[in-house]
Amino acid sequence: MGLRKLWLVIERDLRMFIQYKFMLIMRGIWFTSQVALFGLVVNRMVQEAVPDYFHYYVAGVTIITLYSTAMFIGYDIFEEAEHGVFEYLLTLPVSRRELVLGRSIGGGLRSFIYIGPLLVVVLFILGVLNPLYLLVAVASLFLFAFGVSGMSITIAVVMKSGDKYDILIGVLDALIVRLSTTMYPTLYMQRATPAYAAIANFNPLTYASDLFRWGTGIEGTLQFSPLVGVLALFTFFFSFTFIGVVFYERRLEGGSWQ
Amino acid sequence: MKAILHVIEYDFRNFFRYRWFIIGLIAMNLADLFISAIVFTQMTSLVNYFQFFAPGLAVVGLFASAFMIGREINMEVRREIHHYMLSLPMTRTELAIGRVLAGGLRGMLYMTPLLITNFIVLHFPTLPQLLLILLTLFLLAIGISGVSISIAVSTTSFEKFVTARGVVYYMFFFCSSVFYPLSVIQVLSTKGLWPLVTFAQINPLTNGSDLIRSFLLDPEVYVFSPQMILNVAVFSGIFALLATFAYSKILQRH
Repeated sequence: MGLRKLWLVIERDLRMFIQYKFMLIMRGIWFTSQVALFGLVVNRMVQEAVPDYFHYYVAGVTIITLYSTAMFIGYDIFEEAEHGVFEYLLTLPVSRRELVLGRSIGGGLRSFIYIGPLLVVVLFILGVLNPLYLLVAVASLFLFAFGVSGMSITIAVVMKSGDKYDILIGVLDALIVRLSTTMYPTLYMQRATPAYAAIANFNPLTYASDLFRWGTGIEGTLQFSPLVGVLALFTFFFSFTFIGVVFYERRLEGGSWQ
Repeated sequence: MKAILHVIEYDFRNFFRYRWFIIGLIAMNLADLFISAIVFTQMTSLVNYFQFFAPGLAVVGLFASAFMIGREINMEVRREIHHYMLSLPMTRTELAIGRVLAGGLRGMLYMTPLLITNFIVLHFPTLPQLLLILLTLFLLAIGISGVSISIAVSTTSFEKFVTARGVVYYMFFFCSSVFYPLSVIQVLSTKGLWPLVTFAQINPLTNGSDLIRSFLLDPEVYVFSPQMILNVAVFSGIFALLATFAYSKILQRH
């Protein structure tokens, strides 16, 4: 496998991403309004239960933003199928595997580049207690972003209809974000309905957001060991990158995307 | 009147073409109510959050679905379908009024199951209260449809429309009492964000959701005021007129 060719595929996806400038601006507005309005006001509302909810929520919104931008690669794949770009991609002097792996890495990398400036602002707000913990947390976020990108590619290649993909992603978004610890601690999910807390324990967003909070020092103790968190995200990354690559590679053959 | 009804029928047929989008929207709304609101109820003693949020959710649903008309009109402008619309045997004003009304009525249709959910989980209002709720929400839907159409015809770029829609969405949603009581929003004043507090007080979404709360929750806590209906009516009047004017005039320029 040629690394240079792989990089060319990644670079193409990064360049494509910059074209969505209005989508990126909108995500930025969403992030700002979530932090500056929703976060501040809800912090006041729940301060008896979670005294530092604002910081808790800022970390959660960062993970939600990372998740939603990494999911965007699936829309690209549908666009390419619709506009006949698949055929062009297949004529390139790049092997199927390089193409597929490059897309998976590109999808995760571009979401990370996008949240880079946001991450700087967030770290400025949250502060950093232990740089080593932060390094572990950021590395696990890389795994998370690549895993989400792989998941998006897997769903996109399994679905035949762009409409159905859109709706599935919408429903998945609604459930995966709300049934995680991005917005509220597990303790309160447990009190609300134990089933919610049980589902959250298997949710990669829970591991990503809790590890990020641990890395920045917001949460001194985790409900799971950091090693378990990193392992869970690695499993998520490995499963979906592998499945995504296999599915995408198969779909490329024989024009089954048409 | 017949021409207006034809336009409304056309828009309703289009609305059902977006059934997947609507299903997604309903799923998100229900997840907000039956997951997030239930968990937040455990986190605050200020209000019973589930009960507080349920009326807000009906208003959120109304807003999102009434706003969809703008997306369609912007698409028509970009694909130059508006030339066909302008060639129909009806006046520009009839066409414009039909579009604004259709946007509002579609919002009402989408919101109905959410409102019924409110009645089931809270309690049923009296007949006069129900009529007031429906009147206020209809006015609100017309106003939202007007905002959406005004933005849609102002730009031929879908990206610019989507960005403007995002700004309007977040301003209206987060600077309102949809998600949290107005008394809590006052905290923004201490951070120098008092214009947002003022906006939240006059926001039609605040007035709409607080009006439903005043009939379905404790009336001593959520006090009904005719000012709520007046605020929504003013908002609706301004944006329905603006949209009618903008739609009939700007389309001729493209």
